[in-house]
Amino acid sequence: MPIFQVNNLSYYYPESEKPALKGINITVEEGEFLLVVGGSGSGKSTLARTLAGLVPDFYGGVFSGKVLFKGQDIRRMDRRKLSRHVGMVFQDPEKQLVKTEAEAEIAFGLENLGLPQQEMLRRVAEVMDFLNLEEAKGRFIDKLSGGQKQKIALASVLAMQPEAIILDEPTSQLDPTCAEDFLNLIKRLNEEMGKTVVLIEQRLERCFHLADRVAVMKDGEIIIQGTPQEVASGSIDSGIPFIPPVARFFAGAGFSNIPVTVKEGRSILKNYLPLQNNDADSITQTGFDNNKERKNGETIALKKVWFSYDDKKEVLRGIDLQIFPGEFVAILGANGAGKSTLLKVMAGLLYPNRGKIMFRGKACGKNLEVYRQGKVAYLSQNPNDYLFQDTVEQELFFTLKNFDKPDEGRVDNLLEKLDLNRHKHRNPRDLSSGERQRVALASVLVTEPELVLLDEPTRGMDYALKADLGGYLADLCKGGVSVAVVTHDVEFAAEYAERVIILYDGRIVSDGNAKQILGSSMFYSTQMARMCKGFAEDILTVEEALDILGPIIFRAGANAAERGMG
Amino acid sequence: MLEELFYQEKELFLQKLHPAAAMLHICTLLVLSLIFTNPLYLVGIFLCTGLSVYALEGLQTWKLFIKGGLLMTVPIMIINPLVSRAGATILWHGPRLPVFGKITVSLEAVFYGAVMSMRLLDVISIFCLYNIMVHPDKALNILERFAFKSALVLSLATRMFPAMIRHLENIKQVQVVRGVDFSTGSFRQKLDKYTNLIYILLLSSLEDSMEMAEAMQARAFGSGRRMCYVRDVFKPEDFICAASSMTALFVGALGAVKGYGVMNFYPYLGSVYSMGDIYLLAFMLAMLSVPTLLSWGWHRCRYFR
Repeated sequence: MPIFQVNNLSYYYPESEKPALKGINITVEEGEFLLVVGGSGSGKSTLARTLAGLVPDFYGGVFSGKVLFKGQDIRRMDRRKLSRHVGMVFQDPEKQLVKTEAEAEIAFGLENLGLPQQEMLRRVAEVMDFLNLEEAKGRFIDKLSGGQKQKIALASVLAMQPEAIILDEPTSQLDPTCAEDFLNLIKRLNEEMGKTVVLIEQRLERCFHLADRVAVMKDGEIIIQGTPQEVASGSIDSGIPFIPPVARFFAGAGFSNIPVTVKEGRSILKNYLPLQNNDADSITQTGFDNNKERKNGETIALKKVWFSYDDKKEVLRGIDLQIFPGEFVAILGANGAGKSTLLKVMAGLLYPNRGKIMFRGKACGKNLEVYRQGKVAYLSQNPNDYLFQDTVEQELFFTLKNFDKPDEGRVDNLLEKLDLNRHKHRNPRDLSSGERQRVALASVLVTEPELVLLDEPTRGMDYALKADLGGYLADLCKGGVSVAVVTHDVEFAAEYAERVIILYDGRIVSDGNAKQILGSSMFYSTQMARMCKGFAEDILTVEEALDILGPIIFRAGANAAERGMG
Repeated sequence: MLEELFYQEKELFLQKLHPAAAMLHICTLLVLSLIFTNPLYLVGIFLCTGLSVYALEGLQTWKLFIKGGLLMTVPIMIINPLVSRAGATILWHGPRLPVFGKITVSLEAVFYGAVMSMRLLDVISIFCLYNIMVHPDKALNILERFAFKSALVLSLATRMFPAMIRHLENIKQVQVVRGVDFSTGSFRQKLDKYTNLIYILLLSSLEDSMEMAEAMQARAFGSGRRMCYVRDVFKPEDFICAASSMTALFVGALGAVKGYGVMNFYPYLGSVYSMGDIYLLAFMLAMLSVPTLLSWGWHRCRYFR
């Protein structure tokens, strides 16, 4: 008997005329690892919430069809009983943790289940041990890293010993290393403990290969499902972008048997291409040496900048950095490396304890005049912090008014460019997360800045939204605007940035051409770079790989076929 | 700086006390500061609280609390002498004012204002002690058994408050980037700018609260009778601290009933102390200092462990 059986499920959120789920039919077998992918607003999260019994219980709305858990109608199941069997981990750890301390948080669900004291103690101890959370014991949740917080959220669900765990984009707030750790943990739970896993994710290169089965959703429907290989092949045929780069490359090169991991991809490439041995002794060059002509001098320059909060540990340590007009710079690094602080210093929101900031050749110091003229735009991690006016249009007028700048058609022009024109009279808080972010971006771009600083703009975005944003930022660069993006999304950085900076412990440890840095890095590299390493250098994206390797593979394949025939 | 106002785990003896023992100590200080009106007693409680704060390495935090407290005491010390008519020893005859009538300042009213200010500083210091001594989760664990929902709301507020302060700072930075200058403009304009910050914070908090409620429901919250997870063991030192606090409370309450530690202010000031007062105060302070003494011994003398 399947653990979940969904029959003809349709669902409308309250006051919505468009169905969030439309005629869904899917079964999930016991011990299976199901990955659900799809664009923003495709219904992935709603499906996850339905399996967890939160839709329609928590949200209300119109519900039809049946969701069965081991043959039992989920809507008729007692909430306590359902929570014992199905656990759910949400996207943002900050918004699902209730207590101030880790151990108490893990026990929260157990308290709600009314378990005896001894049983709670045993389960908390077991889970903390299994997830290696001893370090977090007794510490304030507030002081833990994002990865640890998400682990606590998982621990709190695991302690309830559910048979199925549903995870809604659990790694979207984590850096690549923490995300990798977290996903490996989920795989362990599936393989070693036999837990059924339903995972919703956007960054497919991290998890596509972990799944037993993948379901792709669009407009509230499941449009394709099967093994990762089947979905990869089928997606290419149907033009669906939700497959990892390795699979996209091989499908694009005309292979019928599509690999989904770097390992599988390399073993296929070995049949077609000789492995070059020229990278064994290569040393990563640090220090930016870009020969691009720079007639106008730097947009912003940081000279030996040191910064610490409240005289505690230095967050930035002797940063030397110049960003030139038209440059697209990606700033990478682990959580706590100082990336966001660096961006705030560049935005003039934090003053360095030591060192100098020059904007357009003029020292800024504590003088905020430069920023008050709207020459620097800064988009923080949370676009909601920008939205408080009644309409989208008013958000932009608010910024213009503060800088005493005339409209002169700027608002309409920008709304058009960011595809927000149809929402201009709507309340920004009524829009989707992707649209909200575009409104926030528009609210700072309306002053036509020379430097645009964005902190984690691709968090939780699907492929299409990322491509739109990347394209728009690239257009800005063409117009001479400097763009600096703090991101954990290496694939995005490889696609759009021309220069990459890696920060570690407040220092710049690598600064150079994106190809050079991402191509030579072991961890901050794209899936394609890892796959092509040793076969061809300077490949970061699927398109580059297809351009360089595609014809070679095609010729080698044709020669092999000829020899076979001969 | 604001983070100093909240509990920080320092692995100190007083922080490791069982929450029941710690709460009993704090409640005793609070009750005694409210039942006594004798300034000697109030100063004694203030010093005793200060000693505990010192043992908790919280002098910096206490300074912040006291600064805020002193600001509140100023109006008390000014307004009480101006409006009180009960004192007989007139120090100053002022003009006749509308609503207040003829202004007179009496010695008793000044003294009463000063004593009440002292009491306010006591209460603020005790609140500071609570903040740096008792882990909020542990304190709420005790309350949970009697009023779970209220305890949960308090727990959430405790967790959210520092996060909200940080969030407010982020929102302010975003507004600065959008051209809002918080240092310029009239009072009304500044008020409008700060109102926007609160408005954004409220909007976001409302949205976040829905997500949190959903996560709580997913973990069976509200599904029936719940149990309370207890980790703390009542150790001998907890017993000693609890016993000393209860003794101080009992003796203090008995003394107050017998008239010790209670001072008459109007129409004439009563006696500040008698020998009975001194003995009672000394005994009470000795009892109230037991946790601090144990803390001192715990860190410096192996026989205490």
